[in-house]
Amino acid sequence: MIDPVDLNDFFVGFFASAMVVVAGALYAGTFAWSRLRALPRLMPWAYVAYAVLFVSLLVLSSALNLSGYWRVLLVLLLLGYLLAPHAIWHLCRGTHGEQTPGEG
Amino acid sequence: MSIGENNLQGLNGGQRLAVKYFVVALALFGAQLLFGLLAGLQYLKPDLLYGVLDFSVNRMVHINAMVVWMLYGFIGSVYWLLEDESGTNVVGLKLGNLAFWVLTAAVGVVVLVYLFVQIGPGTDTTLWLINEGREYIEAPRWADIGIVACVLIFFFNVAATFMKGRWSGIAGVLVLDLVALAGLYLAGMFYTTNVSVDQYWWWWVIHLWVEATWEVLVGCIMAWGLIQTLGAKRRIVQTWLYIEVALMFGSGILGLGHHYFWIGTPEYWLTIGGFFSALEPVPLVAMVVHAVYDAGSHGFRSSNHPALAWLIAHAFGNFFGAGVWGFMHTLPQINLYTHGTQWSASHGHLAFFGAYATINIAVFYIAVQGARGGVWMSAHLPGNGWKWKWALALLNVGVVGMTVALLIAGYEQSFVERAIEGSTWAGYFAGQNHPWFLQAMHWRMIFGWVTLLGFALLVWDLFTIGAGETREARDVHPGEAATA
Amino acid sequence: MSEIPWWAGEGLWRKVAVWVTAGSFVVLIFLTFDSIEAISAGSQRVPAYSVINQQVRYEFDAARNIQKPVIGGGAPLFGQTLDEAEAEALVTLGKKTVQAKNCMNCHTLLGNGAYYAPDLTKAWLDPAWGSETARETLMLGFLMDPTANARTYGTGRRMPKLDITEQEARGVIAFLKWMSSIDTNGFPYNFKSLAQESRS
Repeated sequence: MIDPVDLNDFFVGFFASAMVVVAGALYAGTFAWSRLRALPRLMPWAYVAYAVLFVSLLVLSSALNLSGYWRVLLVLLLLGYLLAPHAIWHLCRGTHGEQTPGEG
Repeated sequence: MSIGENNLQGLNGGQRLAVKYFVVALALFGAQLLFGLLAGLQYLKPDLLYGVLDFSVNRMVHINAMVVWMLYGFIGSVYWLLEDESGTNVVGLKLGNLAFWVLTAAVGVVVLVYLFVQIGPGTDTTLWLINEGREYIEAPRWADIGIVACVLIFFFNVAATFMKGRWSGIAGVLVLDLVALAGLYLAGMFYTTNVSVDQYWWWWVIHLWVEATWEVLVGCIMAWGLIQTLGAKRRIVQTWLYIEVALMFGSGILGLGHHYFWIGTPEYWLTIGGFFSALEPVPLVAMVVHAVYDAGSHGFRSSNHPALAWLIAHAFGNFFGAGVWGFMHTLPQINLYTHGTQWSASHGHLAFFGAYATINIAVFYIAVQGARGGVWMSAHLPGNGWKWKWALALLNVGVVGMTVALLIAGYEQSFVERAIEGSTWAGYFAGQNHPWFLQAMHWRMIFGWVTLLGFALLVWDLFTIGAGETREARDVHPGEAATA
Repeated sequence: MSEIPWWAGEGLWRKVAVWVTAGSFVVLIFLTFDSIEAISAGSQRVPAYSVINQQVRYEFDAARNIQKPVIGGGAPLFGQTLDEAEAEALVTLGKKTVQAKNCMNCHTLLGNGAYYAPDLTKAWLDPAWGSETARETLMLGFLMDPTANARTYGTGRRMPKLDITEQEARGVIAFLKWMSSIDTNGFPYNFKSLAQESRS
């Protein structure tokens, strides 16, 4: 069952969902750049972007009335966006044969 | 062979056939824009060509020309890389050439019938000879059969050539993907009165083409293109092709569910479609990491700057068109309002252009380079390469502008027509008469002209770039650079 | 350059790609069998074509939190009760006409199509027809001569004359009535239906 978005939450719903994907890309990009150029001072900014994503997803979930099993989707998204860039980074290193033991 | 002159004899057989496909693709791209402009104008001046070329006709030619030019671009791209990838001559090239002419003649006849016959009585004869009346696959049944026959010949060329020459990971994915591509088309080739069943299978063709098999086909072309233009390592490129296939098909096949929310299908599709399509942007976003990794370790030493620029446009376009625009209205809680409004048009414009037009244009530039005997196309082109740069800018600004205008119209429409007025016809027209909507239609038109200007420049550039150039293409040493 | 770890190997990912694709496809096939059965004409969600002999209403279902079609008592289309085969033949003529006249490149059906003209999913129930009694005649007249009977609501957009015969028009109306009885999970949302006397 779904609980359609309320009239008042219309704009918030669209805006938050756009922010989720954009912040997700910012997080992934900053994260990768920081690792690639070995710039640890950039890394907090990556997590700032993730924090924006986190908040946007919570806002989205409340605007779209995600309740019941839809909460599972929320958790999957929160974890997926957090972990996927890490996983892809490992894969990049791995496929390029740059993985050294104990690193990453 | 001399550098800088158009010399098709310097190309291999598959590539000469590819050039034919590209030329028709470009012509159809032009037709797509012209009929799109007419349809857009009719929003502003509804009496324009009323009863002569009605909106339905223009819109049908607009979207059909798009689908067909993209397919022509893909088929051409595959012929272009075929001999190079397999290491042997195309098997059955004559048959392939014949298929090209038959297909092109069929497309011509279909378009003429669309324009001059347009409609028929409500009988099977109409569906067989004039128009099947199903969005995107309007082609009458006789043409469907012709298309399948031609695609089978194309498939035979590809599979037989790889079998005779050498198989590679790219070849394997490509051949299997073409099987799926041809097979899925059959799902749209029958009549049924039950509109729910009709649309169920219709989405198999539309969605599983556009959001699954096309994506993978582009992945194959990309993989080959990266090896060619950036000298990326085959092993790494192929591994990433497999990763992409897993992600695309893993999310895309069941992502089909987001089209089954409201067509009569059971409620469990709300959950399946909602979950899979909401998760779709995650790998897309994660791929940003891969792009940064590659860009960082490579530094963009490319042998073909325009092609690389269009590949980058592809990456951004795909991300925004499919990722951001898709996610904004994919959950059923919001899609209940946006389904069937200008939202879909907005998403469609950016996603088709971003994901597919861009990559085809990139291949056109690779082909032009080859057709002029491997001419220099890196930095310091005459006039600083202003034509390709302006074409790139105008086309992208034009499409993004249209997309934003349609987004505003779609937002207003779902708000006024659906949420407030309750989706009645009076509500529909209240939405259509709203100032936001009317202004958005004007802006869409303005950016449509910008797009057309960019297209004109693109055509001019494709026919002139590299002419009179004496430098040879930069050698990127295939296989030596350390990246994918 | 060190060795490629097993989890980043080409062979492993080839297998993953194959298994993920095959697995998703098998699930889709399974769901397709279930869905096609659930939407065959005569099912709970998609009523039999003879539903055109009955009244179709659109009412809120509190348990599902959406509106859904409710089939009421006898209300034969054009006053003629048809048997199942006749009803199917009439709806089929309508559906073929809808395809042959390319309706979908201006209108949407079940929300799919073009956006130049209103959605037809609940066209049968639209309050624009005024009343239950006037509806059939108005629809017939409109379809057969949309130019003369144009309703543009101030947009200037008129449906073109499509040479729809009277029999085809009756078919289209039957098709639209039948389509309005399909359970679309609440689409279009918040729809305000034509006022109808409840008959059951």
